[in-house]
Amino acid sequence: MAHFAKISEENEVLQVLIVDDKDVLNSEGVETESVGQQYLETHNNWPANLWIQTSYNTLMNTHALGGTPFRGNYAGIGYEWDAENNIFWNEKPYASWVKDLATASWKSPIGDAPALTAEQEAQRTAGTNMWYYSWNEDNQSWDLTDHTA
Amino acid sequence: MEKKVLTEQALYYGDVSMPKGFEINYDKFKADILQADLEKNNFKSSRNWDKLNTFIKDHINLKHQVNLVNKSTWGNFYKPFTLTEPLLQVDPVDLRNSPDFVLLYGVQVKDCFIKIFYDDNRRKGRSWDIELKNNMFVMFPSNNMYIIGNNDSKDLNFIQTITYEYI
Repeated sequence: MAHFAKISEENEVLQVLIVDDKDVLNSEGVETESVGQQYLETHNNWPANLWIQTSYNTLMNTHALGGTPFRGNYAGIGYEWDAENNIFWNEKPYASWVKDLATASWKSPIGDAPALTAEQEAQRTAGTNMWYYSWNEDNQSWDLTDHTA
Repeated sequence: MEKKVLTEQALYYGDVSMPKGFEINYDKFKADILQADLEKNNFKSSRNWDKLNTFIKDHINLKHQVNLVNKSTWGNFYKPFTLTEPLLQVDPVDLRNSPDFVLLYGVQVKDCFIKIFYDDNRRKGRSWDIELKNNMFVMFPSNNMYIIGNNDSKDLNFIQTITYEYI
C-alpha cells in the first residue's frame, strides 16, 4: 500500500489516501510517485502536483521498521508540507519554536527540556511527586512542575 | 467565573477556491441542474458536484474539525423577482433521518440573498441575511428555517443544495 497526502495550494494537508501498490507502478514495475499522483488526479479531481507521497512508518525522521525514513513524518490532516526541506510538519506547538530538520520535529529556542534528576525520577516512580517540565512561552523557559500538587 | 457552551449555531461560508485548472465548470453544473429538472430525476453526481462536495468536506474538517457525511443533494433554479416559501430541511417527526447541516452553493447567481432564521434564547425569529454569490457557499444547521430570494430582474439563479450529517 502506498500513502499519499492531498494538500492545498497553501501546503496544508487536507487528507491522506491509500493507493493500491499496482496503481503506483511504472511500466517497468517500479514504484513511482508520479504514477500514483497521476492516478489520484484522474480519480479524485485534484491536481497531480498536490498529491505528495508519505511514509506510514516514518515519525520524527525515523523509520519504525528500521528502513529509510521518508519525508520526516507520516502526514496527517492539518500538517504542513515543506517542499523546500521535503518534510511533513505537524502543527507548531508554540510560536517561538523552530524546525529541527534532523529530527523533523519542533524544538524550543533553548533546546530540549532538562533531564529530571535521579531524585525526581525516583519520586515519579514512587508516585509521591509527578515532576515534569512544561514550556513557558511567556518566559521562554522550561518550568519544572509537580503534577501531583 | 466559568462559561460552558452547550451548543452553538455556527454558520460557515466562503468561496470554493479550487486549484488552477481544476475549477468548477459552472455552465456544465447549470446544465446538470436543468437536465435533472427536465427529466424529473434526482440530481446525479457529476465531476463538478464531486469537486464541490470534496472541497467542502476537506476544508470544513481541516479548518473546523467537523467531519461531514452526505445525506442528500439537489439543484434548483429560481426565476427573477421570486422569494421561496420558508424552507426547513430537518423533519421534526423524523429527526433520526434528518440532516445536521444544509449547504447552499451559488452555481450561477445574481442579486441572490439567503435569509436564515434563528432563535436567540427568548428572542425568537431573528434572522441573518447573506448575499450568495457565484462560487460561494453558505452552510448552517438544518433546524434553521431559511428563504432564498432572487432580486434580479431577468436572470435565473442556480443553486445547489447539499445536506450533511456530522460525525
